[in-house]
Amino acid sequence: MVRLLDLGLTKVSSIIFDMAGLAENTVSKAITSYKDDDTSTKNQIFESSAKLRFLQDEVSELCIELIARFQPVATDLRYIKSCMELSYVFSRFGRYAFDIITVLEILGPLELCDKSSVMRMSKLVLEMMDLGISALRLRDNSILAKIYEMEEMVDVLYRKSTRESSQIVIANNYSDNRCNISTALILKYLERISDHACYIADSVNYIETGMASPRR
Amino acid sequence: MYLVGNLDNSLKSSIKDEIDDISKYSKTETRTDTTTTTTEEGSLPSIKAETERKSDTEFKIENPKLSVQSLKAWFSGKLALKGINLDVKENCVTALIGPSGCGKTTLLRCINRMHDLTPNAMAEGKIILDDINIYDKQSDPVLIKRRMGMVFQKPNPFPTMSIYDNVAAGLKLNGIKDKNLIKDIVHDSLKGAALWEEVKNDLDKPGISLSGGQQQRLCIARALAMQPEILLMDEPTSALDPIASSKIEELMNDLKKNLTVIIVTHNMQQAARVSDYTAFMYLGELIEFGPTDQIFKYPKKELTERYISGKFG
Repeated sequence: MVRLLDLGLTKVSSIIFDMAGLAENTVSKAITSYKDDDTSTKNQIFESSAKLRFLQDEVSELCIELIARFQPVATDLRYIKSCMELSYVFSRFGRYAFDIITVLEILGPLELCDKSSVMRMSKLVLEMMDLGISALRLRDNSILAKIYEMEEMVDVLYRKSTRESSQIVIANNYSDNRCNISTALILKYLERISDHACYIADSVNYIETGMASPRR
Repeated sequence: MYLVGNLDNSLKSSIKDEIDDISKYSKTETRTDTTTTTTEEGSLPSIKAETERKSDTEFKIENPKLSVQSLKAWFSGKLALKGINLDVKENCVTALIGPSGCGKTTLLRCINRMHDLTPNAMAEGKIILDDINIYDKQSDPVLIKRRMGMVFQKPNPFPTMSIYDNVAAGLKLNGIKDKNLIKDIVHDSLKGAALWEEVKNDLDKPGISLSGGQQQRLCIARALAMQPEILLMDEPTSALDPIASSKIEELMNDLKKNLTVIIVTHNMQQAARVSDYTAFMYLGELIEFGPTDQIFKYPKKELTERYISGKFG
């Protein structure tokens, strides 16, 4: 016999994985748009971001309802708590994607800028998102250490690139300064996404072991 | 569609080089975690594996009020408790949970030696109450019972007695004749059971004229009158409506300030709400015991997890 709680948990899971896919695609689209200097995707990214925000509220409502109606415990309770956190994480991904495309809209076109540092970090960040979501899907905490390791790399890259950008600001050179500012902003958003990818890892660890991640 | 599939190894190694290169820029170590905090390569914290969690040492209560040791109990030759070890902390509520027939009530009845009264029942092992083994041949079951009050599933006030006499009955049976003393104890007991305000003008009315919830609190008052050190409660709210149940739960929280409470309940949420420690029993065995917070959030045993989550039982 299926527990009534399981019906609710299945629904929450379904929304969470919808959010995960949408968040990945939205961030990926924002980075591709930055690379190609293409602002035509802004509306799509905005809509995705808004949808993620809407779904976050839906997950939150559903989780509260499940807690109130079924008073879940143990893994069920940990999963519900984690879903509320995960929905926030995916919603933030959408917001950062929108922030990236907004930078392009305000400071672009940026086709003459050196985008290598952003693209390098974005590869890491997208991989982190992918690993985190896979870990969540498979309930596999064996790959979480890799996500944490990658976050360390992102942090280092972020500090290094920001420092370098600040050292080459040229007076009265609007074009170069646009590049530096846009790079600094987008690196910051990517660094935040990387942190949030770690929150996914934290949630997977919490669901599986009941332990808070020791890394923070 | 992702931009990358697997992390590029050359990229990874180049980043590692850069990490070495700019180590002078490394952020200061501000993380609050005390287990593993450095940012150096190779010292990243590892996830605490499930196996590690399972190997955590058995939970132990320091200086228990009551200690059940290797307790076995039989009914007509059938083993009902298979060597229970359980420590009960003073001034705390300990909940016994588990499916029907797992031995919760038998354990409770062994603790105050009521099990002895059942025909063809037998118990073996030790129950230490403040350094006294209550199953020692020299222990007097009557004296043991005086130190422990018991409240049953169904309220059972003495049907022919008034509210006042229900509470005073135990005192009178124990030879207390001082009417003023009895009056004071009845007052204190009814107050202690959160019933005084509701019955103070009706003390002469029959106990059974009260509502079910009030009758149960009257039974608690009757138990309190004997000033027990331990209060045993066998599903005390299963026959009560939610309001009456919540009053009993609030009462338990107050009572534990002065005595030790052991409660048998089938209501998981009640155990989670009222108890400080929870013991899960199954088929006559104690499967898991620990702080209630841990049992309900992170049970260590799969069986506990399955039971409290409603997957069996």
